[in-house]
Amino acid sequence: MKKINSIKELNKLRKTLKAKYNPNKLRVRICMTGCRASGAEEVMRAFEEETKKNNLCKKVEILPTGCHGFCAMAPVLVVDPFDIFYGKITPENVSEIVSQTLLKGEPVMNLVYEDPVTYQKVVHSKDIPFYKEQKKIVLRNCGEIDPTNIFHYIRRDGYLAIEKVLDSMSSRQVIEKVRISGLRGRGGAGFPTWKKWELASNVKSEEKYLVCNGDEGDPGAFMDRAVLEGDPHSVIEGMLISAYATGATKGFLYVRAEYPIAVEHLGIALEQAKTLGLVGENILGSGFSFDISIKEGAGAFVCGEETALIASIKGKRGMPRPRPPFPVESGLYGKPTCINNVETLANIAPIILNGGVWYAKIGTEKSKGTKVFALAGKVNNTGLVEVPMGITLRKIVFDIGGGIPDGKQCKAVQTGGPSGGCIPTKELDTMVDYDSLEKLGAIMGSGGLIVADENTCMVDLARFFMDFIQDESCGKCVPCRIGTKRMLEMLERITQGKGEVGDIEKLEMLAKIVKDSSLCGLGQTAPNPILSTIRYFRDEYESHIIDKRCRSSVCESLFTSPCQNTCPVELDVPGYINFIKEGKYEEAVKLIREKLPFPAVCGRICHHPCERRCRRGEIDKAVAICALKRAATDYAKHYKPVRHKIKGIEVAIIGAGPAGLTCAFELAKLGYAPVVFESLPKPGGMLRVGIPDYRLPKNILDEEIKWILCAGIKIKTNTRIGKDIKFKALLKKYRATFIAVGAHSGYRLGIPGEDKNGVAEGIGFLRNLNLGKKQKVGNVIAIIGGGNVAIDAARSSLRSDAKKVYIIYRRTKSEMPAMEEEIEEAIKEGIEIIYLASPKRILGENGKVEGIECLQMELGDYDESGRRKPMPIKSSEFTLEVDMVIPAIGQKTDFSFLPEELQSPDKINWRTLATPLSGVFMGGDCRTGPATAIEAIAAGKKAAKNIDKFLRGEKIEEVKIFVERPPKRKRVEEPSSLYHQRIAVLPLSQRKNFKEVELGLTKTKAKLEATRCLRCDLEE
Amino acid sequence: MVSDPIIREGKLGTRVDLGKLEDIFSKHPERNNTNLVIPVLQEIQQIYGYLPAEALKKMSRHFNIPLSHIYGVATFYAQFSLEPRGKNLIKLCQGTACHIRGGKEVLKAVENLLGIGHKGTTSDFKFSLEVVRCLGTCFLAPVMMINRNYYGKLTPEKVRQILKSY
Repeated sequence: MKKINSIKELNKLRKTLKAKYNPNKLRVRICMTGCRASGAEEVMRAFEEETKKNNLCKKVEILPTGCHGFCAMAPVLVVDPFDIFYGKITPENVSEIVSQTLLKGEPVMNLVYEDPVTYQKVVHSKDIPFYKEQKKIVLRNCGEIDPTNIFHYIRRDGYLAIEKVLDSMSSRQVIEKVRISGLRGRGGAGFPTWKKWELASNVKSEEKYLVCNGDEGDPGAFMDRAVLEGDPHSVIEGMLISAYATGATKGFLYVRAEYPIAVEHLGIALEQAKTLGLVGENILGSGFSFDISIKEGAGAFVCGEETALIASIKGKRGMPRPRPPFPVESGLYGKPTCINNVETLANIAPIILNGGVWYAKIGTEKSKGTKVFALAGKVNNTGLVEVPMGITLRKIVFDIGGGIPDGKQCKAVQTGGPSGGCIPTKELDTMVDYDSLEKLGAIMGSGGLIVADENTCMVDLARFFMDFIQDESCGKCVPCRIGTKRMLEMLERITQGKGEVGDIEKLEMLAKIVKDSSLCGLGQTAPNPILSTIRYFRDEYESHIIDKRCRSSVCESLFTSPCQNTCPVELDVPGYINFIKEGKYEEAVKLIREKLPFPAVCGRICHHPCERRCRRGEIDKAVAICALKRAATDYAKHYKPVRHKIKGIEVAIIGAGPAGLTCAFELAKLGYAPVVFESLPKPGGMLRVGIPDYRLPKNILDEEIKWILCAGIKIKTNTRIGKDIKFKALLKKYRATFIAVGAHSGYRLGIPGEDKNGVAEGIGFLRNLNLGKKQKVGNVIAIIGGGNVAIDAARSSLRSDAKKVYIIYRRTKSEMPAMEEEIEEAIKEGIEIIYLASPKRILGENGKVEGIECLQMELGDYDESGRRKPMPIKSSEFTLEVDMVIPAIGQKTDFSFLPEELQSPDKINWRTLATPLSGVFMGGDCRTGPATAIEAIAAGKKAAKNIDKFLRGEKIEEVKIFVERPPKRKRVEEPSSLYHQRIAVLPLSQRKNFKEVELGLTKTKAKLEATRCLRCDLEE
Repeated sequence: MVSDPIIREGKLGTRVDLGKLEDIFSKHPERNNTNLVIPVLQEIQQIYGYLPAEALKKMSRHFNIPLSHIYGVATFYAQFSLEPRGKNLIKLCQGTACHIRGGKEVLKAVENLLGIGHKGTTSDFKFSLEVVRCLGTCFLAPVMMINRNYYGKLTPEKVRQILKSY
């Protein structure tokens, strides 16, 4: 390499490089930075061997490059000139790629990228959704060049910007161009870059310094690392231009020691630049001199702060100092020092070459250009993305990021690392820019974007960040040193069950003080995660403090196993699964009955939230907890329950559904004499009149209800409160009342033709069916809705007289609220689900239903429920010939029998179920709206407990007392590695009746399935 | 990396070959200048695997920098260790992404398998463990580095296999 002495020479060199470059040559661009951790080196060696074997060494260039960004697919490579993308490549795949793609120019289809949502194969990188929305300015060369070869950089217009600057621009003009571009500091604070340069430029001094801040310490951020490793010259060129603008005489590149590859590549790049004379004395003969040295950090997050960084360069402890004076006035060795972030500097050359106006066209009004984000956490496509400012977070997480793995729900997105805040799902449509994120209580930060799902505990996340900050606090100022320690202590107490009422307020108060009085940015931003999580997830804090529950099953002191913790009645799941494994079915049922009076019912119809959280599900598939519960009841010897007679205080319960019956059962156990009033002829509530026989046979339900009633419960059926007995009369007679009437009224569709003969509301339809009442069932039926009632009505119609059944749902399958198993069986049985359609009017002559006219829908913007709103498509009407329409679009409660103060559920204390009327409690579907059986059962238990307290004159405590859990027992056996056992179902040919469809697990299968349980209740 | 300059006498005592320091000192001609403290400490640690007390004393005398300043820097920055460390340095990441993706279980697995915690060294000096915040490979969470090798998408089982291979 020879020194380049003039701009003309550099120009000539670049022209030669461009001329010699053959864009059509076969090239394998393979990431050799981050992908090394996934075996990229072995893959590259395989390529070298294979090309040698096939005599392709001259024809094929194997190019080690920097980060391609799509880190989730590591190791990543692209074959040019075809732009064929290959990810997750092993050395074994290489020979195929060489023979098919390099020799024949064709993609290897089984190695090509497959879209995880559409299952479509996407061959070219520019078509992959991950890349399509990106705009690469900072990352322009990453993945395209060999970062250890300066000529690659030069060829792609590298060092052309500094040429332009040295040739034809004054420092004023450079600053002006950057001003027009609107570039703001990318390190996190977003200070206008031109202003910093101007301030530095205005100070008169013999010596001035320029420092590149490569101390990317935010956990979760790796943008700067990719630039330093993959395109170091872009940073060096940025530094040159910055130095020219500010008048800096010497530069420092401060890099974290934890980035060894970055240090290595920077070293190589700098040496090459110096050899060519692009850094050093009299650059390109212009008279401009600038030298750069590399300084390694030594492991201190605080050194990302300007004044701490300066102290570190001077070989001191990295402790900040008060500002003013700011580094631009007096920094390193007292001289004006301009400190710029890596990403900021990487933007400079393109701005000089393409103009400030070009850059300002990208982005929003106050945040111009692009931003590189590091997507990590609970998201499918982890990696680096560069997008224009103004894109929404939802687009980044879902369209580019590919959404949340394992079908989980997004809870929040954390931006800005330990200095930042979390943004809840409902705000995901916010456009990303400095100001909008600040309004939400977060910050842009350096660009780390951590996605949290439903299994992330936000209190634990705040604790995690504060733990980090406490570790990294330099200790100089009291607010940070002591303030963060106290905040951490409080968070630790809260996550360990020792939280106290008032802690949240204390945290907020302390947070404000630390924010206002800390010496540097570390302390000033340390409280942000706490303030932000309190703002949006206060209920999680309250849950930890008041209920002593961690609903995300993360804070270990607060639960034993996640299944038990997620179950609304906290069943000892590992306990009864273990009994089943040992064949001890009676013990299993006994254990279940301790907390749940409906084992056989729930073993069939529970929506099993426990399975969703089962840790086994993270390995292969969740343990079939619900089916195991049923198996225990199937195989346990039945014994007759003992009848009890109770002489205690009478308590009135309105409604003999799961909530009412459970409350009665628990009260009877405590010695009270519950009296249950049921308006229907038989008890059971939704369990009887909502759920059809093929899901829950009536004899099973009857047996369990008999068992419950034997506890000493008096029940009065065919008695409607408000009609047969006035509510006021009830209050006079009984000292306590539990209202558990459920939600048994449906909604009208609100469309013309609804009053024709042949329109039967869904809940009423099912009730008549389940009570054995005669009703006409049509031949061709259209059911409107997507919940369990709709599916139940559909499958029931098919088993009655219907020949053809449609379900019309206004959104798509993935948004249907019904249980997945139910939807699958409905489709198997031949029910046709029409998605994205909504009824417009019901047609028919002589008051009879003859058809239904529907409109097609498309999904528009997101609404508050986090789902996309269905929007009608103009002139897309279509008609279905039907003779019956069953609307099943929701359930509500008829509160007319109650006094006014009890008619709004929000007046009820959800923690105690107490209403404003003394002695009156309310729970179940009537309080929450349509929910699930197990939640109603849990409400019944809670009501019984609190009625007991009320009747004994005790205060109904809201705040739970924390009970330390006993240490976990030792593990004896290892769980099996079997895949989950499938539950047998009735073959389709045998389903033209109401016989139970699910046949349950055999004894053998139940035992095998039980061995899959990881026994999270035992020691690790 | 560590075997040569450290003469081990049993498990407790170590004598250090200070001759190696001359190579480092000769690279930095300046005296009385704290600028070189961090690079010199990094080079000393590169050779010995940690910062032996005798080496620091010699450094202080040679460069005429107060020993208290050197200790101040050595104890401030996480990279430096004043204790002898194992042949293989495990850096286990407990950054945000790794934490969310099950980093806790991986840490527990390592602690159980090696019987040491953060900043600990196994009694046979084979492994030292450091819990760090963010290695910048968040897409691989949970991640650990052993020497310069990265291991990502860890599970307790994978950890067991990886440690066995050393």
